[in-house]
Amino acid sequence: MKRKLFLAFGALCCLLLSACHDEPKQRPDTPRDNFEALWTIIDEHYPFFDDKQVDWTEVGNRYRERLTDDMTPQELFDLCSDMLKELRDGHTNLIASHDVSRYWIWEQYPVNYDERLVDEHYLNFNYRRATGIKYALLDNNFGYMYYESFATNVGEGNLDLVLNHLATADGLIIDVRSNGGGFLTNVETLVGRFIDGRTHVGSIQHKTGPGHNDFSEPYDYYFEPTKNHIHYQKPVVVLANRGSFSATNNFVSIMKHLPQVTIVGDTTGGGSGLPFTSELPNGWNVRFSSCPVRDVDGHITEHGVAPDVRVDLSDADAAQGRDTMLEAAFAILQSQR
Amino acid sequence: MRRLSVILPLLCLLSLTGLAAEADSVAPLRPVASMFTAEVGRSSVLDTYLTPIVYSGPHIALGYSATQATGFAPDRWVRQLAVGVDYAPAENPVGNRTLHALMVEGRWSLMRRWQGWSPGVRLLLGGNTRLRGGAVYNPSGSNNVVSARIHWSVGAAGMIVWNTRLGRAPLTVSYALSLPLIGAYFSPEYDESYYEIYLGNRRHLAHFGWWGNRFDIDHSLSVDFHLGATTLRVGYRGSNERSWASNIDTRLTTHALVIGVGGEVLSLSRKGVNPKARIISALY
Repeated sequence: MKRKLFLAFGALCCLLLSACHDEPKQRPDTPRDNFEALWTIIDEHYPFFDDKQVDWTEVGNRYRERLTDDMTPQELFDLCSDMLKELRDGHTNLIASHDVSRYWIWEQYPVNYDERLVDEHYLNFNYRRATGIKYALLDNNFGYMYYESFATNVGEGNLDLVLNHLATADGLIIDVRSNGGGFLTNVETLVGRFIDGRTHVGSIQHKTGPGHNDFSEPYDYYFEPTKNHIHYQKPVVVLANRGSFSATNNFVSIMKHLPQVTIVGDTTGGGSGLPFTSELPNGWNVRFSSCPVRDVDGHITEHGVAPDVRVDLSDADAAQGRDTMLEAAFAILQSQR
Repeated sequence: MRRLSVILPLLCLLSLTGLAAEADSVAPLRPVASMFTAEVGRSSVLDTYLTPIVYSGPHIALGYSATQATGFAPDRWVRQLAVGVDYAPAENPVGNRTLHALMVEGRWSLMRRWQGWSPGVRLLLGGNTRLRGGAVYNPSGSNNVVSARIHWSVGAAGMIVWNTRLGRAPLTVSYALSLPLIGAYFSPEYDESYYEIYLGNRRHLAHFGWWGNRFDIDHSLSVDFHLGATTLRVGYRGSNERSWASNIDTRLTTHALVIGVGGEVLSLSRKGVNPKARIISALY
């Protein structure tokens, strides 16, 4: 009898355990609740408060003072956008049907890339395109490939054709200026052609809870060389600028640690946190950095990857049909011939 | 003479025993109560890995179940196999975004049957094992665009079946309950991306499931109308599956109208049917 009572008591406790768990509170669609929902989402998920020295509680209090119950959707959008800009994060956007808030760091720096300049004066409009890559064998016998977006999938077969066409070149320039990122799997595909063994390329971590310091241990990850496809082992220069963001930032941070690669240009735009998306009661989406990705040395590259050789595109050179950064790349490859 | 008076009753007893043994040696016929069902209803979806907002919308499902007396102790035990697929395109309260929840399920139950204590009523109690999996897809997500779900469980199963008549028409009213108790299920950590899992980090993905971190229940009330060899089913099915692990809350609740068509199916061997064989129906 005692045993039955004990079992019944145990079952009741289990049932109470499940009944005790509360789901997240569903907020109504009011300006104040939308503001609080946004503040809470960032508070519980954003990973770079310490790195950027942002006191999110103070930020919330400051913007909460400007909040009124009768503000229009546009006023609320502007207020929330301004609050998000305090994070100085290109991956953080408020997305409404009428607008997308943004903090794009490259808007604050020289563009350092002129597509027309390269096409006209270096490629003579005579180039090939494959799988989102523009490429040509230049007159000085250096290979040039421009990859404009990591959102465009790179096919292994196409990549073979590109590298085969450039196989006789004395060196290769991979231009990822103003490449705003895309899929990290494309980074793996491209890097796989420039490594000859299993290579430690960085680490990734994630938040494990809503606390500001709830992080997993960084997980080291490795890339494998692409099997049964063409590899490129000659000197390589990667051209980057502030517009090299997100997945491109990751690509540059990995290529920088390969012995045959030199990074030329400007510091990349950062964006090292894989973005996640959440939602406010009024249906606006909020995208924010999550999952910090670190370079092989364990450094967070949220603030960008510094080049090995710092060069800006000068207006005077551009006026004469010269790309200062491309010329610097030629000089580096020439010295390694 | 006295010896004969002892032997004759013994022989009679032995012959009766032999007859009984002969009757039991004829394997009973165990028809399969098959039922194909379709469901239409409403669903409510929460998955805080994707969004903290509760979505709701229509629910549709297709299912099949086969219920049969077991080969061993067929008068006392019943087994049931049920498979199904369900889909819910759910909207947020504002109506500007849609989540898509698609799940498939297989469930095998073994239940002890009691009957005879009330006319036409059968009580079945036992256990089951269930494998259920699928995904909730959020088209407007970024690196958290999808939440994969897979859950294996062992739990309690039960049915109350009442075979009765409405006028001259035979019908069966039944209530069925499935209550998973323990198991295992998949969940990423709080803000863990599937890209990190793809890179090889498989730590903390499998969770031991119990009522401290998940609670599921599935029940139905149905009326089966027997029209000749065909059975038509009308009923209600409700289910609720909740989990809370790694600071992620998930819930999928459904309420649905069930319609079904089926009947009892008998597998016959080439030797034909032994006319002495008893028919043991699992439900009817």
